[in-house]
Amino acid sequence: MYRSQQLALKYFAAAIALFGVMTLSGLLSAYYYINPDFLFGFLHFNIAKILHIDTMIIWLLMGFMGAIYWLLPDEFGRDLAGIRAAEILFYVFCAAVAVVAIVFIFVQYGSSNETALWLINQGRKYVEAPRWAAIGVVVVMLVFAYNVIGTAYVSRKITGIAAVLMIDLVPLVLLYLIAFPAISNMSADLFWWWWLVHLWVEATWEVLIGCIMAMALMQLLGTSRRIVEGWLYIEVALVLGTGILGLGHHYFWIGTPNYWLTIGGFFSALEPLPLLGMVIHAVYDAGTHNMKTTNQPAFYWMMAEAFGNFLGAGVWGFMITLPQINLYAHGTQWTVSHGHFAFWGAYACGILSVLYLVLQKTRGLAYVNGALWKWSFAALNLGLIGMTGALLVSGFAQAFVERAIGGSTHAAFVAAQENKWFVEGMVGRLIFGLVFAVGYVVLVYDLLTLGRRARLVAAAAAAE
Amino acid sequence: MTRLSLLETALLLGVYVALAGSYGVVYALARLQGAAILRRISALIYALHGITAVAIVVWTPLEIVWKGLIVASSVAFFAIPPITWRYLERTHETEV
Repeated sequence: MYRSQQLALKYFAAAIALFGVMTLSGLLSAYYYINPDFLFGFLHFNIAKILHIDTMIIWLLMGFMGAIYWLLPDEFGRDLAGIRAAEILFYVFCAAVAVVAIVFIFVQYGSSNETALWLINQGRKYVEAPRWAAIGVVVVMLVFAYNVIGTAYVSRKITGIAAVLMIDLVPLVLLYLIAFPAISNMSADLFWWWWLVHLWVEATWEVLIGCIMAMALMQLLGTSRRIVEGWLYIEVALVLGTGILGLGHHYFWIGTPNYWLTIGGFFSALEPLPLLGMVIHAVYDAGTHNMKTTNQPAFYWMMAEAFGNFLGAGVWGFMITLPQINLYAHGTQWTVSHGHFAFWGAYACGILSVLYLVLQKTRGLAYVNGALWKWSFAALNLGLIGMTGALLVSGFAQAFVERAIGGSTHAAFVAAQENKWFVEGMVGRLIFGLVFAVGYVVLVYDLLTLGRRARLVAAAAAAE
Repeated sequence: MTRLSLLETALLLGVYVALAGSYGVVYALARLQGAAILRRISALIYALHGITAVAIVVWTPLEIVWKGLIVASSVAFFAIPPITWRYLERTHETEV
């Protein structure tokens, strides 16, 4: 095993641990909607929510990095350049995440001054991490970029997937720099902030997961490089073509020019088109392999990725993306519903698929199947679909009562929060969140014991 | 946009894309299994998708530009599954 693949295992372990923190803080956030006084004066909703959304970003990022560190040595036929720096930075990254989490929980917030921005909280959603930690993220990403680009340089080899990956790393790093400026003009600040959030999620991350899935498909299904690279180019072109200017579909209520709403609505309305192509591809692959491979969980999670992406980003997104709807739905639980489904489908399922592929290799398993992964697969997906369904109901109530009837006044906000449909949706979200959490526990148990259980049974049988 | 038409329009838009996806999946299954019945079901689902598109154009208060986009997207949704399937078959055949 290459050193970078050993590092990948560490990244995957950290990612799964943070996945757990995300789930736990998500449950906590969901419970605040039922009982707003919970932990009053100790840990408020805003902190639980920060932990929930920030760990979501970090666990996916670590999952991506783990997948790249695992798959890329096979692509180049050698270990990655600068791996020593990457190994050191892994521990620095984990320590920084832990320190930031402790500061969020125990210090929570400071005054509106530079010290608070540097040491406590930058106060911008998804990138709340204080500046020192944000600089750390940039350093980690720069070394990650060097690992990829430097390896291509020293091996004098470049594949189509590696080329796409290298090009993608440039905006991935550059866009994160938007996490730093503290712009006092709220409109200007939010304008640029969306460049980071939207373009990471709907552009650079889409390309990153496309590269990861391309490499994983070659390993899982033995698909030829020519085919996966051909698809990668087409999908990247379509996703970027629709995703970049889809940015405008976020520019509501922040003072940006109106034309952005039309541009954003138009391009994001095109996003389901390439996603349908991916679904067709998934059905083709599933059919030609009769739904059977040597790694069933990896295969099913890959299928879940294609379908989840279409449903979460395509169907859920299309409901709210046209300006006349978005005007009312923006920032309600409706968009939260879309966000949950889309992140899960587009990214989380793909990382879990790669994780099972990795475990098959590291544990020397010729065939991966069993009951446990099916339970976790079912509980996680049922929990997620249930949560998004419940959030959708709450979002409908919120858009209807607070926005359409009440005209977005404070009284209308309170009326929507007390609306029966809204409250019941929140209860439903918590219940399905618990189902999701059970799925997570089963997943972790399965990942920890995969292959070992069979060996123990075989050893016991041999002893008898 | 009235209060109720907000929810009606959004739901129609969601159903519109969900039917397009269902049409694509059933079309792919039909090609995979060579089953005529699935082919007919996929056509039926696309017809439902078309009806949804007509409902959006006729009943919802969306602006004309967006209604045009809905019609154009329906044409694209119709074409994507066969084009994608042919591309997949061709690329995989040349591999063998």
